[in-house]
Amino acid sequence: MTISVAPGPDTQEGVRTGTAESTDSLTAPDIPWNLVIWNDPVNLMSYVSYVFQSYFGYSETKANKLMMEVHKKGRSIVASGSKEQVERHAVAMHGFGLWATVEKASGGPGGKSGKSGGPGQGKGKRG
Amino acid sequence: MAKAFKYGLKGITGFLEPAERDLLRSLINDVISMLQPEDRTGQDPLAALIGLDMDVAEPTDRAVKRLLPNVVKNDGEASLEFRQLTERSLRETKIGALRAAALDLDKDEIVLTADGAKHWSMALNDVRLVLAERLDIRDEADAEHVHRMQDWSQAEDVESYLALVYNFTTWLQESLVQAMLQSMESRR
Repeated sequence: MTISVAPGPDTQEGVRTGTAESTDSLTAPDIPWNLVIWNDPVNLMSYVSYVFQSYFGYSETKANKLMMEVHKKGRSIVASGSKEQVERHAVAMHGFGLWATVEKASGGPGGKSGKSGGPGQGKGKRG
Repeated sequence: MAKAFKYGLKGITGFLEPAERDLLRSLINDVISMLQPEDRTGQDPLAALIGLDMDVAEPTDRAVKRLLPNVVKNDGEASLEFRQLTERSLRETKIGALRAAALDLDKDEIVLTADGAKHWSMALNDVRLVLAERLDIRDEADAEHVHRMQDWSQAEDVESYLALVYNFTTWLQESLVQAMLQSMESRR
């Protein structure tokens, strides 16, 4: 799908937050992660734009652009940052009822693909 | 008849008839009961206190799963791990917004603060997500089909009744969000 349009407000911050070599040793804090919002036929376009403006502090123009991208292309990367940051955003998006997932930025710097979170059998559990 | 939410001097206001408030209250309560975490005896009290839930599983009910979706696409394992850490508090956030909205239903005229409006928009959204699952709205064409159902005299079965209820909540949420956007605009 499409590549990032919108480096979020936190993009540059990845380095500090990761509390050094904690348990997530495979997920170096400077490997960027993306927050993806997926299209669905229920959420109102106005509401999605409102969420992007109020939660991320995006301008109306930027929020609408991202919202239209979700609507037309099926998904959009609306923020990126450290794993912790995008996970925090994802929970907030779920709170609003938006369909959000996190994924490792492809082609990001140092794109080491040690899958975090478990031995990664790679079986998606539902079709 | 309900009046659309609007933004004005008093903030964001709306008006609902008693029957409409009863309807919304019961929809909200339905969603709350779907989100209420089971009380598990024998759960580690410390884990519960900090919101950890090691017994959590991916929801089997499609509507619940839409409210509490997997955070990593095609990776059930990573998603489950994330659920253990976050699902309980996500459920509580949602229930909090739904309860706050339900409390505002005690009066005909609804006057909302910025926070109140946010809770209402979240609550209406969750109600719509659940109704949409029950109506099997999978894509824009399904949504369009449901949207065409506007006449209450056509309500002859559960499905058409649900569609009308869905359209009512859609209309209400849209008017609310427009008022919220206006209010944000005026504060800029």
